[in-house]
Amino acid sequence: MRKIKIKIMNRVKTKPEANAGSFRDPANRVYEVAPESSGEKARILRGLSEDALTIYQQLSGEAFFQKALAAGHVVQTELLEADDENASLVMIDGWAGVLEHEAVPFVTYPYEWSFSMLKDAALLQLHLIEKSLENGWTLKDATTYNIQWIGPRPVFIDVPSFQPWKEGEPWVGYRQFCSMFLTPLLLRAHLDIDHLPILRSYIDGIPPTEAAKYFTGSKRFKKGVLSHIIFPAKVENSIARRERDDAPARQRITRKQSKAMVLGLVQSLSRLVRKLSIEIKHTDWSQYYKTHSYEEADFSAKKAFVTKHASTTKQEHIWDIGCNTGTFSKVSSKYCSQVISVDGDHNAVEQLYLAEKMNAGSNILPLVMNLSNISPGQGWGGSERQAFDQRRKPDLVFCLALIHHVRMSANIPNAFFLKWLHSLQAGVILEFVNREDEMVMKLLTNKKEQYEDYSLDQFIKEAEQLFTIKDRESLKDGKREIFYLTPR
Amino acid sequence: MNKRKGLTAKLLLTIQICLVSNLFFPSIAFAYVDPGSGSVIVTTILGLIAAIGYTFRKYFYKVKRMITGKKAEEDQDEEDQDQDNE
Repeated sequence: MRKIKIKIMNRVKTKPEANAGSFRDPANRVYEVAPESSGEKARILRGLSEDALTIYQQLSGEAFFQKALAAGHVVQTELLEADDENASLVMIDGWAGVLEHEAVPFVTYPYEWSFSMLKDAALLQLHLIEKSLENGWTLKDATTYNIQWIGPRPVFIDVPSFQPWKEGEPWVGYRQFCSMFLTPLLLRAHLDIDHLPILRSYIDGIPPTEAAKYFTGSKRFKKGVLSHIIFPAKVENSIARRERDDAPARQRITRKQSKAMVLGLVQSLSRLVRKLSIEIKHTDWSQYYKTHSYEEADFSAKKAFVTKHASTTKQEHIWDIGCNTGTFSKVSSKYCSQVISVDGDHNAVEQLYLAEKMNAGSNILPLVMNLSNISPGQGWGGSERQAFDQRRKPDLVFCLALIHHVRMSANIPNAFFLKWLHSLQAGVILEFVNREDEMVMKLLTNKKEQYEDYSLDQFIKEAEQLFTIKDRESLKDGKREIFYLTPR
Repeated sequence: MNKRKGLTAKLLLTIQICLVSNLFFPSIAFAYVDPGSGSVIVTTILGLIAAIGYTFRKYFYKVKRMITGKKAEEDQDEEDQDQDNE
Protein backbone atom coordinates (compact mmCIF):
# COMPACT_ATOMS: atom_id res chain seq x y z
CA MET A 1 0.00 0.00 0.00
CA ARG A 2 1.36 3.43 -0.94
CA LYS A 3 1.84 5.61 2.10
CA ILE A 4 0.96 9.28 1.76
CA LYS A 5 3.33 11.61 3.56
CA ILE A 6 2.47 15.19 4.34
CA LYS A 7 4.66 17.93 5.75
CA ILE A 8 2.97 19.58 8.71
CA MET A 9 4.87 22.27 10.57
CA ASN A 10 8.21 21.00 9.28
CA ARG A 11 7.45 17.41 10.35
CA VAL A 12 6.70 14.62 7.93
CA LYS A 13 3.53 12.79 8.98
CA THR A 14 2.52 9.45 7.57
CA LYS A 15 -1.14 8.98 6.74
CA PRO A 16 -2.82 6.67 9.27
CA GLU A 17 -3.25 3.09 8.08
CA ALA A 18 -6.83 2.10 7.18
CA ASN A 19 -7.95 -0.94 9.16
CA ALA A 20 -8.09 -4.05 6.95
CA GLY A 21 -11.30 -5.21 8.63
CA SER A 22 -13.19 -1.94 8.26
CA PHE A 23 -14.75 -1.63 4.81
CA ARG A 24 -18.20 -3.20 4.92
CA ASP A 25 -20.02 0.00 5.84
CA PRO A 26 -19.35 2.59 3.10
CA ALA A 27 -20.39 5.41 5.46
CA ASN A 28 -17.25 5.18 7.59
CA ARG A 29 -13.82 3.62 7.93
CA VAL A 30 -11.44 3.01 10.82
CA TYR A 31 -7.80 4.14 10.72
CA GLU A 32 -5.00 3.42 13.12
CA VAL A 33 -2.31 5.93 13.98
CA ALA A 34 0.77 4.01 15.04
CA PRO A 35 2.42 5.30 18.23
CA GLU A 36 5.42 7.57 17.58
CA SER A 37 7.32 6.30 20.61
CA SER A 38 7.17 3.16 22.74
CA GLY A 39 5.41 4.92 25.63
CA GLU A 40 2.56 6.17 23.45
CA LYS A 41 -0.63 4.35 22.59
CA ALA A 42 -2.05 3.83 19.12
CA ARG A 43 -4.85 6.25 18.19
CA ILE A 44 -8.04 4.88 16.64
CA LEU A 45 -9.72 7.28 14.22
CA ARG A 46 -12.85 6.83 12.13
CA GLY A 47 -13.62 8.78 8.98
CA LEU A 48 -17.32 9.64 8.56
CA SER A 49 -19.31 10.43 5.43
CA GLU A 50 -21.38 13.63 5.41
CA ASP A 51 -24.57 11.76 6.39
CA ALA A 52 -22.80 9.77 9.08
CA LEU A 53 -21.34 12.98 10.52
CA THR A 54 -24.77 14.64 10.70
CA ILE A 55 -26.19 11.56 12.41
CA TYR A 56 -23.31 11.46 14.90
CA GLN A 57 -23.83 15.13 15.77
CA GLN A 58 -27.49 14.36 16.53
CA LEU A 59 -26.62 11.19 18.45
CA SER A 60 -24.00 12.84 20.65
CA GLY A 61 -26.70 15.13 22.06
CA GLU A 62 -28.98 12.22 23.03
CA ALA A 63 -29.20 11.45 26.74
CA PHE A 64 -29.43 7.68 26.21
CA PHE A 65 -26.16 7.73 24.22
CA GLN A 66 -24.38 9.84 26.82
CA LYS A 67 -25.59 7.41 29.50
CA ALA A 68 -24.25 4.44 27.49
CA LEU A 69 -20.87 6.20 27.17
CA ALA A 70 -20.75 7.00 30.87
CA ALA A 71 -21.60 3.39 31.79
CA GLY A 72 -18.80 2.12 29.54
CA HIS A 73 -21.26 0.26 27.31
CA VAL A 74 -20.07 2.24 24.29
CA VAL A 75 -16.40 2.98 23.61
CA GLN A 76 -15.29 6.51 24.59
CA THR A 77 -15.63 8.67 21.48
CA GLU A 78 -15.10 12.28 20.50
CA LEU A 79 -15.38 14.27 17.29
CA LEU A 80 -11.99 15.69 16.29
CA GLU A 81 -11.48 19.24 15.10
CA ALA A 82 -10.48 19.48 11.45
CA ASP A 83 -7.14 20.99 12.48
CA ASP A 84 -6.05 17.81 14.28
CA GLU A 85 -3.11 16.71 12.13
CA ASN A 86 -4.13 13.07 11.97
CA ALA A 87 -7.77 13.95 11.30
CA SER A 88 -6.74 16.12 8.37
CA LEU A 89 -4.72 13.21 6.98
CA VAL A 90 -7.73 10.88 7.25
CA MET A 91 -9.96 13.47 5.57
CA ILE A 92 -7.79 13.24 2.45
CA ASP A 93 -9.83 10.09 1.69
CA GLY A 94 -12.93 12.27 1.30
CA TRP A 95 -14.45 11.90 4.77
CA ALA A 96 -16.49 14.82 6.11
CA GLY A 97 -15.47 14.34 9.75
CA VAL A 98 -13.28 12.19 11.97
CA LEU A 99 -14.06 10.52 15.29
CA GLU A 100 -11.49 9.33 17.77
CA HIS A 101 -12.24 6.21 19.84
CA GLU A 102 -10.47 4.97 22.92
CA ALA A 103 -8.27 2.08 21.73
CA VAL A 104 -9.30 -1.28 23.19
CA PRO A 105 -6.28 -3.05 24.68
CA PHE A 106 -6.45 -6.12 22.44
CA VAL A 107 -8.76 -6.93 19.54
CA THR A 108 -10.51 -10.28 19.88
CA TYR A 109 -13.05 -12.20 17.83
CA PRO A 110 -16.17 -14.16 18.86
CA TYR A 111 -14.54 -17.49 18.02
CA GLU A 112 -12.20 -16.82 20.96
CA TRP A 113 -14.91 -16.05 23.55
CA SER A 114 -16.28 -18.51 26.07
CA PHE A 115 -20.03 -19.12 26.34
CA SER A 116 -20.63 -16.48 29.00
CA MET A 117 -18.53 -13.93 27.14
CA LEU A 118 -20.69 -14.40 24.04
CA LYS A 119 -23.81 -14.28 26.22
CA ASP A 120 -22.74 -11.01 27.87
CA ALA A 121 -21.83 -9.55 24.48
CA ALA A 122 -25.31 -10.54 23.20
CA LEU A 123 -27.00 -8.94 26.20
CA LEU A 124 -25.04 -5.72 25.66
CA GLN A 125 -26.06 -5.64 22.00
CA LEU A 126 -29.72 -6.18 22.97
CA HIS A 127 -29.54 -3.61 25.76
CA LEU A 128 -28.21 -0.99 23.35
CA ILE A 129 -30.83 -1.65 20.70
CA GLU A 130 -33.58 -1.58 23.32
CA LYS A 131 -32.42 1.76 24.70
CA SER A 132 -32.01 3.10 21.16
CA LEU A 133 -35.55 2.10 20.15
CA GLU A 134 -37.03 3.60 23.29
CA ASN A 135 -35.43 6.90 22.27
CA GLY A 136 -36.28 6.87 18.56
CA TRP A 137 -33.01 5.31 17.40
CA THR A 138 -31.94 1.88 16.19
CA LEU A 139 -28.76 -0.04 15.34
CA LYS A 140 -28.30 -0.78 11.67
CA ASP A 141 -26.53 -4.11 12.25
CA ALA A 142 -25.88 -6.65 14.99
CA THR A 143 -22.50 -8.18 14.37
CA THR A 144 -20.35 -9.70 17.11
CA TYR A 145 -17.33 -7.85 15.67
CA ASN A 146 -18.87 -4.61 16.97
CA ILE A 147 -18.21 -5.81 20.51
CA GLN A 148 -14.72 -5.75 21.98
CA TRP A 149 -13.40 -6.12 25.53
CA ILE A 150 -11.73 -3.88 28.07
CA GLY A 151 -10.55 -6.46 30.60
CA PRO A 152 -13.53 -8.77 31.16
CA ARG A 153 -16.08 -6.05 30.23
CA PRO A 154 -17.72 -5.95 26.79
CA VAL A 155 -17.84 -2.62 25.00
CA PHE A 156 -19.66 -1.61 21.82
CA ILE A 157 -17.25 -0.01 19.34
CA ASP A 158 -19.24 0.74 16.18
CA VAL A 159 -20.70 4.18 16.95
CA PRO A 160 -21.95 4.86 13.36
CA SER A 161 -24.17 1.80 13.74
CA PHE A 162 -26.61 4.05 15.65
CA GLN A 163 -29.23 5.40 13.23
CA PRO A 164 -32.49 7.31 13.70
CA TRP A 165 -35.39 4.83 13.71
CA LYS A 166 -37.97 5.49 11.01
CA GLU A 167 -41.61 4.79 11.87
CA GLY A 168 -42.52 1.29 10.68
CA GLU A 169 -38.90 0.15 10.21
CA PRO A 170 -38.29 -3.48 11.24
CA TRP A 171 -35.24 -4.57 13.26
CA VAL A 172 -32.82 -4.95 10.35
CA GLY A 173 -30.16 -6.60 12.49
CA TYR A 174 -32.43 -9.44 13.65
CA ARG A 175 -31.09 -12.14 11.31
CA GLN A 176 -27.49 -11.11 11.96
CA PHE A 177 -28.09 -11.16 15.71
CA CYS A 178 -29.51 -14.69 15.51
CA SER A 179 -26.71 -15.98 13.25
CA MET A 180 -23.85 -14.41 15.16
CA PHE A 181 -24.98 -14.41 18.80
CA LEU A 182 -28.07 -16.50 19.45
CA THR A 183 -27.46 -19.61 17.34
CA PRO A 184 -23.99 -20.37 18.76
CA LEU A 185 -25.38 -19.83 22.27
CA LEU A 186 -28.26 -22.21 21.58
CA LEU A 187 -25.90 -24.83 20.12
CA ARG A 188 -23.75 -24.76 23.25
CA ALA A 189 -26.55 -24.44 25.82
CA HIS A 190 -28.98 -26.98 24.34
CA LEU A 191 -26.74 -29.48 22.55
CA ASP A 192 -23.33 -28.98 24.25
CA ILE A 193 -21.79 -28.44 20.81
CA ASP A 194 -18.49 -26.54 20.76
CA HIS A 195 -19.60 -23.35 19.01
CA LEU A 196 -16.11 -21.87 18.59
CA PRO A 197 -14.78 -23.85 15.59
CA ILE A 198 -18.15 -23.31 13.87
CA LEU A 199 -17.96 -19.56 14.46
CA ARG A 200 -14.37 -19.52 13.23
CA SER A 201 -15.55 -20.95 9.92
CA TYR A 202 -18.79 -18.98 9.61
CA ILE A 203 -17.25 -15.58 10.28
CA ASP A 204 -20.51 -13.87 9.27
CA GLY A 205 -22.56 -16.10 11.56
CA ILE A 206 -24.30 -19.45 11.23
CA PRO A 207 -27.20 -19.17 8.74
CA PRO A 208 -30.55 -20.51 10.04
CA THR A 209 -30.73 -23.11 7.26
CA GLU A 210 -27.45 -24.61 8.50
CA ALA A 211 -28.30 -24.25 12.18
CA ALA A 212 -31.62 -26.06 11.65
CA LYS A 213 -29.72 -29.23 10.70
CA TYR A 214 -28.42 -29.56 14.27
CA PHE A 215 -31.89 -29.34 15.79
CA THR A 216 -33.70 -32.42 14.58
CA GLY A 217 -36.59 -34.34 16.20
CA SER A 218 -37.54 -33.20 19.68
CA LYS A 219 -34.44 -30.93 19.86
CA ARG A 220 -36.32 -28.36 17.79
CA PHE A 221 -38.70 -27.81 20.73
CA LYS A 222 -35.92 -26.55 23.00
CA LYS A 223 -36.26 -22.95 24.17
CA GLY A 224 -35.90 -20.41 21.36
CA VAL A 225 -35.11 -22.96 18.62
CA LEU A 226 -38.49 -23.15 16.94
CA SER A 227 -38.94 -19.38 16.70
CA HIS A 228 -35.41 -18.24 15.90
CA ILE A 229 -33.90 -21.14 13.96
CA ILE A 230 -36.50 -23.58 12.56
CA PHE A 231 -39.05 -20.97 11.51
CA PRO A 232 -36.51 -18.59 9.81
CA ALA A 233 -34.93 -21.62 8.09
CA LYS A 234 -38.34 -22.68 6.73
CA VAL A 235 -38.98 -19.15 5.45
CA GLU A 236 -35.55 -18.92 3.80
CA ASN A 237 -35.88 -22.35 2.20
CA SER A 238 -39.32 -21.42 0.92
CA ILE A 239 -37.97 -18.16 -0.58
CA ALA A 240 -35.06 -20.00 -2.21
CA ARG A 241 -37.48 -22.50 -3.80
CA ARG A 242 -39.66 -19.67 -5.17
CA GLU A 243 -36.68 -17.76 -6.53
CA ARG A 244 -35.31 -20.81 -8.26
CA ASP A 245 -38.56 -21.30 -10.15
CA ASP A 246 -39.37 -17.63 -10.62
CA ALA A 247 -36.61 -15.90 -12.61
CA PRO A 248 -37.94 -12.34 -13.19
CA ALA A 249 -37.42 -10.08 -10.24
CA ARG A 250 -40.53 -8.70 -8.63
CA GLN A 251 -40.99 -5.75 -6.33
CA ARG A 252 -41.07 -6.90 -2.72
CA ILE A 253 -43.63 -5.35 -0.42
CA THR A 254 -42.07 -4.40 2.88
CA ARG A 255 -44.36 -4.58 5.84
CA LYS A 256 -44.35 -1.80 8.38
CA GLN A 257 -43.71 -2.83 11.93
CA SER A 258 -44.81 -0.96 15.00
CA LYS A 259 -42.39 -0.01 17.77
CA ALA A 260 -44.19 -2.46 20.07
CA MET A 261 -43.40 -5.28 17.62
CA VAL A 262 -39.72 -4.38 17.33
CA LEU A 263 -39.22 -3.67 21.04
CA GLY A 264 -41.24 -6.74 21.99
CA LEU A 265 -38.99 -8.92 19.85
CA VAL A 266 -35.81 -7.40 21.28
CA GLN A 267 -37.06 -7.82 24.85
CA SER A 268 -38.19 -11.41 24.27
CA LEU A 269 -34.69 -12.20 22.93
CA SER A 270 -33.14 -10.59 26.02
CA ARG A 271 -35.24 -12.83 28.26
CA LEU A 272 -34.30 -15.88 26.20
CA VAL A 273 -30.55 -15.13 26.24
CA ARG A 274 -30.59 -14.40 29.98
CA LYS A 275 -32.05 -17.86 30.65
CA LEU A 276 -29.41 -19.73 28.60
CA SER A 277 -26.76 -21.47 30.68
CA ILE A 278 -24.21 -24.24 30.54
CA GLU A 279 -22.98 -26.66 33.13
CA ILE A 280 -19.26 -26.31 33.83
CA LYS A 281 -18.01 -29.87 33.79
CA HIS A 282 -14.80 -31.09 35.36
CA THR A 283 -12.33 -31.02 32.45
CA ASP A 284 -8.57 -31.53 32.47
CA TRP A 285 -7.91 -27.90 33.37
CA SER A 286 -11.08 -26.46 34.87
CA GLN A 287 -10.06 -27.69 38.35
CA TYR A 288 -6.34 -26.92 37.97
CA TYR A 289 -6.21 -24.68 41.01
CA LYS A 290 -6.87 -27.71 43.22
CA THR A 291 -5.57 -30.62 41.10
CA HIS A 292 -2.11 -29.32 40.12
CA SER A 293 0.78 -31.60 41.01
CA TYR A 294 2.70 -29.13 43.18
CA GLU A 295 3.39 -29.20 46.90
CA GLU A 296 2.64 -25.88 48.57
CA ALA A 297 6.34 -24.87 48.95
CA ASP A 298 7.13 -25.51 45.27
CA PHE A 299 3.98 -23.72 44.16
CA SER A 300 5.02 -20.70 46.23
CA ALA A 301 8.52 -20.80 44.72
CA LYS A 302 7.02 -20.83 41.23
CA LYS A 303 4.77 -17.87 42.12
CA ALA A 304 7.75 -15.99 43.56
CA PHE A 305 9.80 -16.56 40.38
CA VAL A 306 6.93 -15.31 38.18
CA THR A 307 6.33 -12.29 40.43
CA LYS A 308 10.04 -11.42 40.48
CA HIS A 309 10.27 -11.14 36.70
CA ALA A 310 6.80 -9.73 36.05
CA SER A 311 7.32 -6.95 38.57
CA THR A 312 10.87 -5.79 37.88
CA THR A 313 10.07 -3.90 34.68
CA LYS A 314 6.78 -2.19 33.83
CA GLN A 315 4.99 -4.46 31.38
CA GLU A 316 2.18 -3.21 29.17
CA HIS A 317 0.84 -6.56 28.00
CA ILE A 318 1.41 -9.97 29.51
CA TRP A 319 0.23 -13.08 27.70
CA ASP A 320 -0.44 -16.10 29.88
CA ILE A 321 -0.65 -18.89 27.31
CA GLY A 322 -1.96 -22.16 28.67
CA CYS A 323 -3.45 -20.19 31.57
CA ASN A 324 -5.86 -22.86 32.93
CA THR A 325 -8.06 -21.03 35.43
CA GLY A 326 -5.68 -18.06 35.47
CA THR A 327 -3.73 -18.49 38.72
CA PHE A 328 -0.64 -16.79 37.28
CA SER A 329 -2.65 -14.23 35.29
CA LYS A 330 -4.03 -13.06 38.63
CA VAL A 331 -0.58 -13.06 40.23
CA SER A 332 0.85 -10.84 37.48
CA SER A 333 -2.15 -8.60 36.73
CA LYS A 334 -1.03 -5.82 39.06
CA TYR A 335 2.29 -5.43 37.25
CA CYS A 336 0.89 -4.66 33.79
CA SER A 337 -1.94 -2.82 32.07
CA GLN A 338 -3.45 -5.91 30.42
CA VAL A 339 -3.22 -9.69 30.78
CA ILE A 340 -4.35 -11.81 27.84
CA SER A 341 -5.07 -15.25 29.31
CA VAL A 342 -5.38 -18.00 26.73
CA ASP A 343 -6.26 -21.65 27.07
CA GLY A 344 -7.74 -24.31 24.80
CA ASP A 345 -9.98 -25.63 27.59
CA HIS A 346 -13.31 -23.81 27.26
CA ASN A 347 -14.48 -24.54 30.78
CA ALA A 348 -11.26 -23.33 32.40
CA VAL A 349 -11.53 -20.03 30.51
CA GLU A 350 -15.23 -19.79 31.31
CA GLN A 351 -14.43 -20.10 35.02
CA LEU A 352 -11.75 -17.43 34.79
CA TYR A 353 -14.13 -15.09 32.95
CA LEU A 354 -16.96 -15.61 35.45
CA ALA A 355 -14.57 -14.87 38.33
CA GLU A 356 -12.97 -11.82 36.70
CA LYS A 357 -16.19 -10.15 35.57
CA MET A 358 -17.17 -9.88 39.23
CA ASN A 359 -13.86 -8.20 39.97
CA ALA A 360 -14.30 -4.47 39.29
CA GLY A 361 -11.26 -3.01 37.57
CA SER A 362 -9.95 -6.39 36.43
CA ASN A 363 -7.48 -6.15 33.54
CA ILE A 364 -7.58 -9.85 32.66
CA LEU A 365 -9.06 -10.79 29.29
CA PRO A 366 -9.61 -14.56 29.04
CA LEU A 367 -9.69 -16.20 25.59
CA VAL A 368 -10.32 -19.75 24.38
CA MET A 369 -7.78 -20.91 21.82
CA ASN A 370 -5.93 -24.07 20.94
CA LEU A 371 -2.29 -22.98 20.92
CA SER A 372 -1.33 -25.52 18.28
CA ASN A 373 -3.85 -23.84 15.96
CA ILE A 374 -4.11 -20.16 16.91
CA SER A 375 -6.71 -17.92 15.24
CA PRO A 376 -5.50 -17.32 11.69
CA GLY A 377 -5.79 -14.25 9.48
CA GLN A 378 -9.06 -14.73 7.62
CA GLY A 379 -11.99 -13.07 5.90
CA TRP A 380 -11.44 -10.91 2.82
CA GLY A 381 -7.87 -11.17 1.57
CA GLY A 382 -6.97 -13.20 4.66
CA SER A 383 -6.57 -9.96 6.60
CA GLU A 384 -10.09 -8.86 7.52
CA ARG A 385 -9.71 -10.73 10.82
CA GLN A 386 -6.14 -10.74 12.07
CA ALA A 387 -4.16 -13.73 13.27
CA PHE A 388 -3.82 -13.88 17.04
CA ASP A 389 -0.07 -13.21 16.97
CA GLN A 390 -0.31 -10.32 14.47
CA ARG A 391 -2.58 -8.00 16.47
CA ARG A 392 -0.34 -6.59 19.18
CA LYS A 393 2.93 -7.93 20.49
CA PRO A 394 3.17 -8.77 24.20
CA ASP A 395 5.92 -7.53 26.50
CA LEU A 396 6.10 -10.71 28.56
CA VAL A 397 4.83 -14.23 27.86
CA PHE A 398 4.16 -16.99 30.36
CA CYS A 399 4.39 -20.60 29.18
CA LEU A 400 4.06 -22.42 32.44
CA ALA A 401 4.06 -26.21 32.22
CA LEU A 402 2.90 -26.00 28.63
CA ILE A 403 5.82 -27.13 26.52
CA HIS A 404 5.37 -30.88 27.21
CA HIS A 405 1.80 -30.61 25.88
CA VAL A 406 2.96 -28.74 22.80
CA ARG A 407 5.60 -31.45 22.18
CA MET A 408 3.75 -34.60 23.19
CA SER A 409 0.06 -33.82 22.64
CA ALA A 410 0.34 -31.63 19.54
CA ASN A 411 3.58 -33.18 18.18
CA ILE A 412 5.18 -29.78 17.67
CA PRO A 413 8.99 -29.88 18.05
CA ASN A 414 10.39 -27.68 20.83
CA ALA A 415 12.51 -25.80 18.27
CA PHE A 416 9.34 -24.79 16.36
CA PHE A 417 7.65 -23.62 19.54
CA LEU A 418 10.72 -21.63 20.61
CA LYS A 419 10.92 -20.03 17.16
CA TRP A 420 7.29 -18.91 17.43
CA LEU A 421 7.92 -17.52 20.94
CA HIS A 422 10.98 -15.69 19.63
CA SER A 423 8.89 -14.10 16.86
CA LEU A 424 6.87 -12.31 19.58
CA GLN A 425 10.05 -10.43 20.62
CA ALA A 426 9.08 -10.47 24.28
CA GLY A 427 10.51 -11.77 27.53
CA VAL A 428 9.40 -15.33 28.27
CA ILE A 429 8.87 -17.12 31.56
CA LEU A 430 8.88 -20.79 30.62
CA GLU A 431 8.52 -23.79 32.86
CA PHE A 432 10.12 -26.93 31.46
CA VAL A 433 8.64 -30.19 32.67
CA ASN A 434 11.23 -32.97 32.78
CA ARG A 435 10.68 -36.54 31.64
CA GLU A 436 10.81 -37.67 35.29
CA ASP A 437 7.78 -35.55 36.21
CA GLU A 438 4.66 -37.62 36.86
CA MET A 439 2.63 -35.50 34.44
CA VAL A 440 5.01 -36.24 31.55
CA MET A 441 5.05 -39.93 32.52
CA LYS A 442 1.25 -39.91 32.39
CA LEU A 443 1.34 -38.34 28.94
CA LEU A 444 3.81 -40.95 27.69
CA THR A 445 2.14 -44.00 29.25
CA ASN A 446 0.10 -45.02 26.24
CA LYS A 447 2.19 -43.48 23.49
CA LYS A 448 4.29 -45.50 21.08
CA GLU A 449 6.38 -42.41 20.28
CA GLN A 450 8.46 -41.61 23.35
CA TYR A 451 9.90 -38.25 22.16
CA GLU A 452 13.52 -39.11 22.92
CA ASP A 453 14.52 -35.59 21.79
CA TYR A 454 12.57 -34.15 24.71
CA SER A 455 15.11 -33.42 27.45
CA LEU A 456 16.24 -30.46 29.54
CA ASP A 457 19.71 -30.40 27.93
CA GLN A 458 18.28 -30.39 24.43
CA PHE A 459 15.78 -27.69 25.39
CA ILE A 460 18.52 -25.44 26.81
CA LYS A 461 20.63 -25.96 23.69
CA GLU A 462 17.74 -24.94 21.43
CA ALA A 463 16.61 -22.07 23.64
CA GLU A 464 20.11 -20.53 23.79
CA GLN A 465 20.18 -20.17 20.02
CA LEU A 466 17.31 -17.66 20.16
CA PHE A 467 17.18 -16.41 23.75
CA THR A 468 19.45 -15.38 26.60
CA ILE A 469 18.74 -17.28 29.79
CA LYS A 470 18.57 -14.46 32.34
CA ASP A 471 17.47 -16.56 35.28
CA ARG A 472 16.51 -20.15 36.10
CA GLU A 473 15.36 -22.13 39.11
CA SER A 474 14.78 -25.79 39.85
CA LEU A 475 11.36 -26.86 41.10
CA LYS A 476 9.82 -30.12 42.39
CA ASP A 477 13.20 -31.69 43.26
CA GLY A 478 14.55 -31.11 39.79
CA LYS A 479 11.53 -32.51 37.96
CA ARG A 480 10.81 -29.05 36.62
CA GLU A 481 12.94 -26.05 35.71
CA ILE A 482 11.61 -22.51 35.35
CA PHE A 483 13.43 -20.01 33.07
CA TYR A 484 13.32 -16.31 32.38
CA LEU A 485 14.37 -15.79 28.76
CA THR A 486 14.90 -12.63 26.75
CA PRO A 487 15.07 -12.68 22.94
CA ARG A 488 18.49 -12.33 21.30
CA MET B 1 -46.90 -33.44 34.44
CA ASN B 2 -45.31 -30.01 34.02
CA LYS B 3 -43.13 -31.35 31.20
CA ARG B 4 -46.25 -32.55 29.35
CA LYS B 5 -47.89 -29.14 29.83
CA GLY B 6 -44.79 -27.42 28.42
CA LEU B 7 -44.77 -29.72 25.39
CA THR B 8 -48.47 -29.07 24.72
CA ALA B 9 -47.88 -25.33 24.91
CA LYS B 10 -44.95 -25.62 22.45
CA LEU B 11 -47.05 -27.71 20.05
CA LEU B 12 -49.85 -25.14 20.21
CA LEU B 13 -47.33 -22.37 19.50
CA THR B 14 -46.01 -24.30 16.45
CA ILE B 15 -49.54 -24.71 15.09
CA GLN B 16 -50.23 -21.02 15.68
CA ILE B 17 -47.02 -19.98 13.91
CA CYS B 18 -47.81 -22.27 10.94
CA LEU B 19 -51.34 -20.88 10.69
CA VAL B 20 -50.17 -17.26 10.91
CA SER B 21 -47.36 -17.85 8.41
CA ASN B 22 -49.80 -19.45 5.96
CA LEU B 23 -51.89 -16.29 6.17
CA PHE B 24 -48.86 -14.15 5.32
CA PHE B 25 -46.95 -16.10 2.68
CA PRO B 26 -49.34 -15.84 -0.28
CA SER B 27 -49.65 -12.06 -0.04
CA ILE B 28 -45.93 -11.32 -0.12
CA ALA B 29 -44.22 -10.83 -3.46
CA PHE B 30 -40.44 -11.19 -3.66
CA ALA B 31 -37.92 -9.44 -5.86
CA TYR B 32 -34.33 -10.69 -6.07
CA VAL B 33 -34.05 -12.56 -2.82
CA ASP B 34 -30.99 -12.64 -0.61
CA PRO B 35 -31.05 -14.96 2.39
CA GLY B 36 -31.70 -12.07 4.76
CA SER B 37 -34.84 -10.87 3.00
CA GLY B 38 -36.82 -13.60 4.77
CA SER B 39 -36.18 -11.91 8.07
CA VAL B 40 -38.81 -9.26 7.22
CA ILE B 41 -41.40 -12.04 7.29
CA VAL B 42 -39.88 -13.62 10.37
CA THR B 43 -39.71 -10.36 12.32
CA THR B 44 -43.27 -9.46 11.28
CA ILE B 45 -44.69 -12.71 12.63
CA LEU B 46 -42.48 -12.98 15.72
CA GLY B 47 -42.94 -9.23 16.28
CA LEU B 48 -46.73 -9.59 16.29
CA ILE B 49 -46.54 -12.30 18.94
CA ALA B 50 -43.95 -10.34 20.93
CA ALA B 51 -46.01 -7.12 20.72
CA ILE B 52 -48.87 -8.81 22.59
CA GLY B 53 -46.53 -9.68 25.46
CA TYR B 54 -44.88 -6.25 25.30
CA THR B 55 -48.19 -4.41 25.53
CA PHE B 56 -49.42 -6.66 28.32
CA ARG B 57 -46.21 -6.11 30.34
CA LYS B 58 -46.33 -2.36 29.73
CA TYR B 59 -49.81 -2.11 31.27
CA PHE B 60 -48.98 -4.64 33.98
CA TYR B 61 -46.02 -2.50 35.15
CA LYS B 62 -48.16 0.63 34.92
CA VAL B 63 -50.74 -0.93 37.26
CA LYS B 64 -47.95 -2.28 39.47
CA ARG B 65 -46.42 1.19 39.74
CA MET B 66 -49.80 2.66 40.64
CA ILE B 67 -50.12 0.12 43.46
CA THR B 68 -46.54 0.35 44.78
CA GLY B 69 -46.17 4.08 44.14
CA LYS B 70 -42.81 3.53 42.37
CA LYS B 71 -41.84 5.89 39.56
CA ALA B 72 -40.98 4.67 36.06
CA GLU B 73 -37.45 6.11 36.41
CA GLU B 74 -36.77 3.94 39.46
CA ASP B 75 -37.61 0.81 37.44
CA GLN B 76 -35.37 2.13 34.67
CA ASP B 77 -32.44 2.62 37.02
CA GLU B 78 -32.86 -0.92 38.37
CA GLU B 79 -32.89 -2.24 34.81
CA ASP B 80 -29.69 -0.35 33.91
CA GLN B 81 -28.06 -1.66 37.06
CA ASP B 82 -28.95 -5.22 35.96
CA GLN B 83 -27.18 -4.65 32.63
CA ASP B 84 -24.06 -3.44 34.42
CA ASN B 85 -24.06 -6.57 36.54
CA GLU B 86 -24.46 -8.98 33.61
